[in-house]
Amino acid sequence: MLRDTLQTLLGAYGPTGQEHLVADKVRELLSGHVDSMRTDALGNLIVEKFGAEENAKTIMISAHMDHIGLVVTDIEKEGFLRVHAVGGISPRLVAARKVVFADGTPGIVALEPNTKGKKEPEMSDLFVDIGADSREEAEKLVSIGDVAVYAPDFTALGRHKVASPAMDNRCACALLVELLMYAEGQKNTIVGVFSTQEEVGLRGARVAAYAVEPDIGLALDVTAWGDTPQTKLPAVKLGAGPAVKIMDRSMIASPYVRDKLFEAAQAAGVAVQREVLAFGGTDGGAIQLSRGGVPTGTLSIPCRYVHSANEVIDLRDMEGALKVLLQFIELA
Amino acid sequence: MDLKTLTEAFGPSGCEQEVRALLKEAAQALCDDVSIDRAGNLVCRRKGSDPMKPSVTFAAHMDEIGFIITGHTEDGLLRFRPVGGVDPRVVVSKWVLVGKERLRGVIGAMAIHLQTPADRERVLDYDNLFIDIGARDAKEAERLCPLGAYAVFDTPYTEFGEGFVAARALDDRVGCLNLLDILKSDYAGDLCCVFVTQEEVGLRGSRGAAFHLQPDIAIILEGTAANDLGDTPERFQVCVPGQGVAVSFMDRASIANQQLYQQLLQVAQEHGIPHQVKRAVTGGNDAASFQQAGKGARTCVLSVPCRYIHSGNNVAKLSDIKAQADLAIAFLHSL
Amino acid sequence: MRTEDFLRDITAIRGLSGDEGPVADFVADAFRPYCDEVWVDQMHNVIARKKGGGPKVMFAAHLDEIGLMVVNIEEDGSLRLGQVGGVDPRILPGQRVWVYGKDRLLGIIGAKAPHLLSAEERSKNYQREDLYVDLGLPPQRVREQVQIGDQVQLEHRYTALQNGRVAVKTSDDRACVAMMFEALKQLQNLRHEADLYFVATAQEEVGTRGAITSAFALDPDFAVALDVCHADTPGAPAWRTHKLDSLVASMGPFIHPVLRGKLVEVAKEQNISLQTAVVPRSTFTDADGIGEARAGVPTVLLELPLKNMHTTVETLDSKNLREGGRLLAQFAVAVNEGWEDELWT
Repeated sequence: MLRDTLQTLLGAYGPTGQEHLVADKVRELLSGHVDSMRTDALGNLIVEKFGAEENAKTIMISAHMDHIGLVVTDIEKEGFLRVHAVGGISPRLVAARKVVFADGTPGIVALEPNTKGKKEPEMSDLFVDIGADSREEAEKLVSIGDVAVYAPDFTALGRHKVASPAMDNRCACALLVELLMYAEGQKNTIVGVFSTQEEVGLRGARVAAYAVEPDIGLALDVTAWGDTPQTKLPAVKLGAGPAVKIMDRSMIASPYVRDKLFEAAQAAGVAVQREVLAFGGTDGGAIQLSRGGVPTGTLSIPCRYVHSANEVIDLRDMEGALKVLLQFIELA
Repeated sequence: MDLKTLTEAFGPSGCEQEVRALLKEAAQALCDDVSIDRAGNLVCRRKGSDPMKPSVTFAAHMDEIGFIITGHTEDGLLRFRPVGGVDPRVVVSKWVLVGKERLRGVIGAMAIHLQTPADRERVLDYDNLFIDIGARDAKEAERLCPLGAYAVFDTPYTEFGEGFVAARALDDRVGCLNLLDILKSDYAGDLCCVFVTQEEVGLRGSRGAAFHLQPDIAIILEGTAANDLGDTPERFQVCVPGQGVAVSFMDRASIANQQLYQQLLQVAQEHGIPHQVKRAVTGGNDAASFQQAGKGARTCVLSVPCRYIHSGNNVAKLSDIKAQADLAIAFLHSL
Repeated sequence: MRTEDFLRDITAIRGLSGDEGPVADFVADAFRPYCDEVWVDQMHNVIARKKGGGPKVMFAAHLDEIGLMVVNIEEDGSLRLGQVGGVDPRILPGQRVWVYGKDRLLGIIGAKAPHLLSAEERSKNYQREDLYVDLGLPPQRVREQVQIGDQVQLEHRYTALQNGRVAVKTSDDRACVAMMFEALKQLQNLRHEADLYFVATAQEEVGTRGAITSAFALDPDFAVALDVCHADTPGAPAWRTHKLDSLVASMGPFIHPVLRGKLVEVAKEQNISLQTAVVPRSTFTDADGIGEARAGVPTVLLELPLKNMHTTVETLDSKNLREGGRLLAQFAVAVNEGWEDELWT
């Protein structure tokens, strides 16, 4: 079930650069469902499911496993940790949040009093309290270079929505897992890439795409929302269906793939939205520019409060996306 | 005469010759008494057969907003100032026609790549805007476009959307067009249609016309600003294109004669002519001149709602333009 | 076709970054009679090959254009705008645009009227977010016609000014595509050893993306990137601008010095005057993308001065189209195997 797969993947620790625990979960889930699985030098998990037809195209579908976090840069005499951002984590959103390290050590992120009249707090104004009374005690729990992420916290909201950290982008990982499970005797070859280091510049997908040399690229990711007070753009709503990306900062979707997604949605009878994002990027940007160029698009799950500890999605959009993807791998 | 010809004619305030010549030719075919007065207004009089009917004057202005050349730079660019109200923010990256030869020119601006954050915010004012006609130096620029040459936006007349038109100078060539229609009507009283000059620089032409015409009733046909789209709160929208001719009870320069105003609304209602009340006290126009010249006159203003009125692309709805003429003529017949 | 006519026609054709299909087809058709083979790749790069047995030379000028995109449709039927590439919001109020909905629709860009703004608001430029497109249609009709993501193209007018100067949108960089067209015509009567690839690249305005992929695919020995640079404009910093009337050969770490020397030499022989620009780092042209392809491609950058870049009145001296075409053709003739050995001397 999509919801169970999602919950399993959301629980895995996996900051940018240390995605192996997420990859392990994916391997477990996909075991017996695919033709091959391998891990490359950057930790990308590359999964193949061969197409039935002789002239099958290779479709690379990428979903990044990594999650934004805080890396410890200093442990102070009093036992407090100083941190630096891993990926786009905002000091304002992480302040007063609970975080965890790889071994489960918890910490509370706190903010120094604002004595300089700053409009926005900076990372250097934050510290992490892990309950240690001294540097020595802290060092028993945490080392410099360790990374903390938002503590897992899966919350059902209303009938269809769920909130959790790391929804960006485990919801897409869940979608890709389900696609690889459900696809059966499909026309084209699917190369599922559970990619790494997206949050710091699409680094995993770039090398994966070079190695895979796909005919068609598709990224699965979350996108921003435009349906809460004073937020109008992008004009994308939760629960109104997955969004086909027209463009963002990293990529203008190739017309071929974009239109195939619309076609797939129509064939699946799923309503989709049209997404124009003035910022942000996905693995699609890296895939499209690989080698001599790869026709590439992105299918997005609308997600509120992206990069906060409560990223909210609507499960109906996930279900719709899965149906679209099952059609897409036949039509593309 | 059609609206395309009228809006593409060159006529910034003080330089109405081309428009006047066009209108004069058209008016002469419609009435015997066509003259040009001391202020450059084109006055078209038609004697009535029934002395019991009141004498009515209609006015519309021939002039439009534009530009005037004020200098030349070393590298052959033209310095200029607006004639009438042109927001400097609408002139960047637009096309103009300059001078007697109607030379083509463009208004450029420093590329976005070269702008500092302050440049991006700061409005380019008329000290920092230039017309480029392609001249190599000041001498060539001066020879082609001497000081005092006029310029206007170079905007073709284009119908678009559902019955809309985008053009230059809809304010107030729509009124000019409709005055010609009024001259065709069979009103039995004395009728005068006056095409006035220099409205955009302070109602200057109409002041002279009002002084020598001394009508009982003066009805002004205008274009007025409509702000119905985008972020403008409803109370500031003034009027809506497509909802008919706008009848003013008051603007910043004159108050309509109450009886005349009510009569116009009633005629519109009786004849099913699309109309709306102008829902704001904004703008000022030639009605003020007629109301206050000599012994005074009863006035009212009928306006065509017009979006982006002080830019190179005025937008109006053709049905509203027709409604303006229809109401004016129906009003005459009701007298 | 006269090169000026080519420029007039090509600048009108739709080709916003990422969706350059229509303009790519136009270029392919125009280049075909002068080449051995022409194809359009999946990124919409047009690649025109004129065969030779010698070194592989890539000429690149981008065919995409900056523009706008519908990001939202308001209840009153007005359209809100995003941008494709860097559009100066100052040029937008009062501008006409083409909206590519189901049909091509004319729109006018509107803004809140100045008399409704506070004095402080009036002292600042409108931002793109403040503006909207007015289609003159009832909201229902707008929704039938237009979708989020539809492209919005700025008004095209080819305006001939005095002294052979021309103002027209998208001279950046289709004037340089026109230069390649001129070069191809001149090459009909010339013999060349090199294997020539004239590439009209896609997606330059969003990060030289077409140049990156086409240079990888073609794997050239040498490359000449063609783009526009800034001509003198009031208020602009002098070191960033050049005279309008002659071409510019840039120098700096992204430009191969020996290859640049070759270009300058050819210009001298042909009596074509060149200005020099100094670019200390990224050139923000296709030269950057090509230079870093595969193991690296020695690349030079030839630039055409343009006033009012990224506006609807981009202004150039049409004489440069012919001079530039001639320089490219003669450079193509001059390339030989021997150059490879001189590259790092």
